[in-house]
Amino acid sequence: MDQKALVVDQQKCTGCRQCELVCSVYHTGASNPSRSRVRVVKWEQVGIYLPMTCNHCEKAFCVEVCPTKACHREPEKENRVVIDRNLCIGCRTCIIACPFGQPFFDAQERVTVKCDYCDGDPQCVAFCNVKALSFVDADRVQMAKKREAASKLADLLKQARG
Amino acid sequence: MISLIPVVHYEEQSLSGDLRMGTESVQPIRIAKYVRPQQEWKEIIAVYLYLAGMGAGSFIIGILIHWMGAELNPLSIPFIELFGVRLDLAKFPILWGPIMVSIGAPFLILDLGIKWRFMYACLNPRTSWVARGFIILSIFIVFGLLILAKSLLPFKWLYPESGLWLIPEVIAFVFAFGTALYTGILLKATKSVPLWNTPLLPLLFLASALSTGSMSIILSTLATGLLSYNSGAMKALMYGEQIFLAIEGIVLYLFLSRRYRASEQGKDSVRLLVTGKLRYVFWQGIILLGFVFPFVLEWISKYYQNSALLFIAGLSLLTGGFFLRLGVLRAGIKDQIPMQRLMEIQYELIQNSKSLPTGR
Repeated sequence: MDQKALVVDQQKCTGCRQCELVCSVYHTGASNPSRSRVRVVKWEQVGIYLPMTCNHCEKAFCVEVCPTKACHREPEKENRVVIDRNLCIGCRTCIIACPFGQPFFDAQERVTVKCDYCDGDPQCVAFCNVKALSFVDADRVQMAKKREAASKLADLLKQARG
Repeated sequence: MISLIPVVHYEEQSLSGDLRMGTESVQPIRIAKYVRPQQEWKEIIAVYLYLAGMGAGSFIIGILIHWMGAELNPLSIPFIELFGVRLDLAKFPILWGPIMVSIGAPFLILDLGIKWRFMYACLNPRTSWVARGFIILSIFIVFGLLILAKSLLPFKWLYPESGLWLIPEVIAFVFAFGTALYTGILLKATKSVPLWNTPLLPLLFLASALSTGSMSIILSTLATGLLSYNSGAMKALMYGEQIFLAIEGIVLYLFLSRRYRASEQGKDSVRLLVTGKLRYVFWQGIILLGFVFPFVLEWISKYYQNSALLFIAGLSLLTGGFFLRLGVLRAGIKDQIPMQRLMEIQYELIQNSKSLPTGR
């Protein structure tokens, strides 16, 4: 299957944190944002909100450091990186290794949890009212930016022609 | 170069005041919110690192004394009776290291989310350094305790004088070095913390293991009377301990100065440790208790031939060894992700991004 990616547009995010709620309900059955796999980070200085979730990195540090192979890649499922909760020992090495601060320690289950794209249908994307989150093919991630740049270039050319 | 962090009292930083958007002296986001040391590994891991390092270091020194055949005084309590077996304590004060490591290893398990699953890590040795560490520690504990048991048990069928015992002794000696180095490698292997990601960290922990190990052997042999204060072996031990301590000090200086220049987060970590929230741990715990007191007190004790001062110096050094691990652990700040830098440039949170050292 082609690799897919979860793309965030921080200009659209209003910081409603609905994604956190639906994520925790989907994965744990509880409406508890502290158990969510996605976390909205506030940057108060600039007034933006950024839903942060796992990037499923090409060279994932969490996979490298996991002592039990609980954290592994699934090439057949969107090339995602997932943690097998039946193998995780809760050593939290992956949390320290991830530069994005991503896997989270679930205090109730006593294991580390992370985004698994909700088995191909990310609930955060489905429930985001302002469409700040989108789940697209990995090679189309930059498409919106490319379109924007192309339209700017076209405007400039028009101006140059007079 | 712009000084990004004028004062590193992280907990005292606030988002109000001059941190408002659009003002002249805007501080980078990471100071206010994102420069936080890791919170995952805390005191429990520090205790484990300390006991494993100190136990392995003391075993290295103890087995060297054993191999060199230093003249040991008979103990005041040469044996004890346990279940009808007479345990010979003659070598116990120099070979107790594996017991410390056995006490320390469960702390690693205690820190796990699901404790009984530690076996999963043992069964996958090739996956990571955490798993390899379980193996290294297990081998050291098994062989170390075997040698300790051999020295304790009086059974003739063990052939305690046999040359074959050298094989387990060498294995335990090698794995004792492995254990002392591994405590640093465990932290280095996480990669995303610039303070830890250096070969100097295993070296620092090894030097600390040897200095605390030799000091603990000095204390145990003095307390039990195995070595007298004026004996040649004791003098050699004390010289050795001071050399290890000096090496540890040099490595600590190199470690901190190199990490300060390595990257932004390395610099933040060192500042956090030296002048920030952890300054008491560093100056009082590591420098004063770990280096200054032992050096000064040992010198005074030599001058006045006073072994009581040596005990105080020893306890001070051993406490300093613990604070070294604790400080290094608590000051670990993660590397900055590229997106954060992008945001800083996009929203002009740093005045001149080109003047920042990249260091990577």
